[in-house]
Amino acid sequence: MRISSMKYLVGQGVKNIWTNRIMSFASFCVLTVSLLLVGFSVLATMNINRFVSGIENRNEVIIYLDDNISDEAIVEMEGILKQTENVSSVVFYSKEQAWEDEKAKYDNADEIFAYFEESPLPDAFRIRISDVSVMKRTVTAIDAKFAPVGYIIDIKSPDDFASILTSLKSTIAVISTAIIIALAVVSMVIISNSTRASVFARSREINIMKYVGATNTFIRIPFFVEGMLTGAVAGLVSSLATWLVYENVIEIFQQEGDLWKALGMGEFIPYNTIWLQVSLAYIVIGILFGAIGTAASTRKHLKV
Amino acid sequence: MVEFENVSVTYENGVDALNNVSLKIKDGEFAFVVGASGAGKSTLIKLILKEVSATSGKIVVNGFKLNKLRQRKIPYLRRTIGVVFQDFRLIPNMTVYDNIAYVLRVIDAPQKYIRSRVPKVIALVGLQDKMKCYPKELSGGEQQRVALARALVNDPAIIIADEPTGNIDPELSFQIVRLLKEINNCGTTVLMVTHEQELVEYFGGRTIAMKNGEVVFDQILPGENAEEEYYAN
Repeated sequence: MRISSMKYLVGQGVKNIWTNRIMSFASFCVLTVSLLLVGFSVLATMNINRFVSGIENRNEVIIYLDDNISDEAIVEMEGILKQTENVSSVVFYSKEQAWEDEKAKYDNADEIFAYFEESPLPDAFRIRISDVSVMKRTVTAIDAKFAPVGYIIDIKSPDDFASILTSLKSTIAVISTAIIIALAVVSMVIISNSTRASVFARSREINIMKYVGATNTFIRIPFFVEGMLTGAVAGLVSSLATWLVYENVIEIFQQEGDLWKALGMGEFIPYNTIWLQVSLAYIVIGILFGAIGTAASTRKHLKV
Repeated sequence: MVEFENVSVTYENGVDALNNVSLKIKDGEFAFVVGASGAGKSTLIKLILKEVSATSGKIVVNGFKLNKLRQRKIPYLRRTIGVVFQDFRLIPNMTVYDNIAYVLRVIDAPQKYIRSRVPKVIALVGLQDKMKCYPKELSGGEQQRVALARALVNDPAIIIADEPTGNIDPELSFQIVRLLKEINNCGTTVLMVTHEQELVEYFGGRTIAMKNGEVVFDQILPGENAEEEYYAN
């Protein structure tokens, strides 16, 4: 196809948006609403996952050590713990440090603890687990590994926390996936219906084009351009709307910061770290939905 | 050239639209197809344009064997045929110029050629002043002339006019047929479907009459003013 013909067809697509402005506006609105619905569900899911991961990262297993353990044994044990599967960090917490921290909790600690010449607390390792769903298994493995040498006197692990978090994560994943898929399907149905109405209004025009020998591709290109442009604009508007709404929602939550933190929630994903991905996703999906919607709707009318 | 050999068409609803029709329209001929509503005239045109397919029989149009023609090749057949419809069928949001140029754009003609060819054809039908008008700004006769210019613009081997005078004044009807005759004189085959007896009687020429899906008459009529028209041209 000649460049001049291509230019003509693209120009026709742009012109058609204005010529059929009411239908174009309807398609644009439908696309924008659909994109926003899906977009906000994805953003909400991303944030919830972030909160959950934040909570998950705060897990801590404390391994209390026997008083008779030597310094060499502590170093050796730290090395073994660091290499243990599913352990993300290992920090040695000496009994002196533990004692200092304990005393710091009281204003008149020196009076209260005057009888203690040295720390009555044991040395400990504070370890963090990467995947809390297998926390129990990891703890049992560590316990079993050091049982013969008798280094460990006790292990404290938040097992309830781990199991609640694990089931919470899987529930969130199932619900959010179901919501996003349902919204995407509903959006596709609405989009295809609105473009079908728009194309139907022009079925006579398509019919005439067929009679003068236009190929299906030749007829479709302007429709494609029209759908893609409408989709791109819908994507752009959606990303702007998301930016405004998202920032405002964050602000509202941050004003209620204390309550938010009391609920154990972490920070939101800042929009400036994801704006590019969000905008690109909106525009690309908008273009795709717009183009596919129109292409599918022209199909029926091309059979003349 | 159009050739029908024992062609029958039965629609899905069971109506027999065409019954064993055989006819041949040679290159450069001018033929009227006449008949009452439901005689099979429209089906004949739909078959030539491959809008419907024959239930049985063979059809050849401008070298295209329609029985074997694939769906995606239909546009190429249609590019060899210029069609003029009773209801003009102009694209409403395109100007006169763009409606006509569209046919050339479809065949990927160079921009330079489009710019020189379209005004010539518009001048041929006498609408130089209306080039930038939209169809709704034109009278019925003018719209039909645009449709005629569109049918002509890519020099088709055959022009099919389906009741081209059905929606216009009687006086303009004669003008349209005269234009078709002129086009025919330049070598283009013309097949004109009409139910206006006066036009056929006035111009004469090959006349194919159809009734109940069959060709009942196929002869050359002298025409009241055939000679006068001939010299006038």
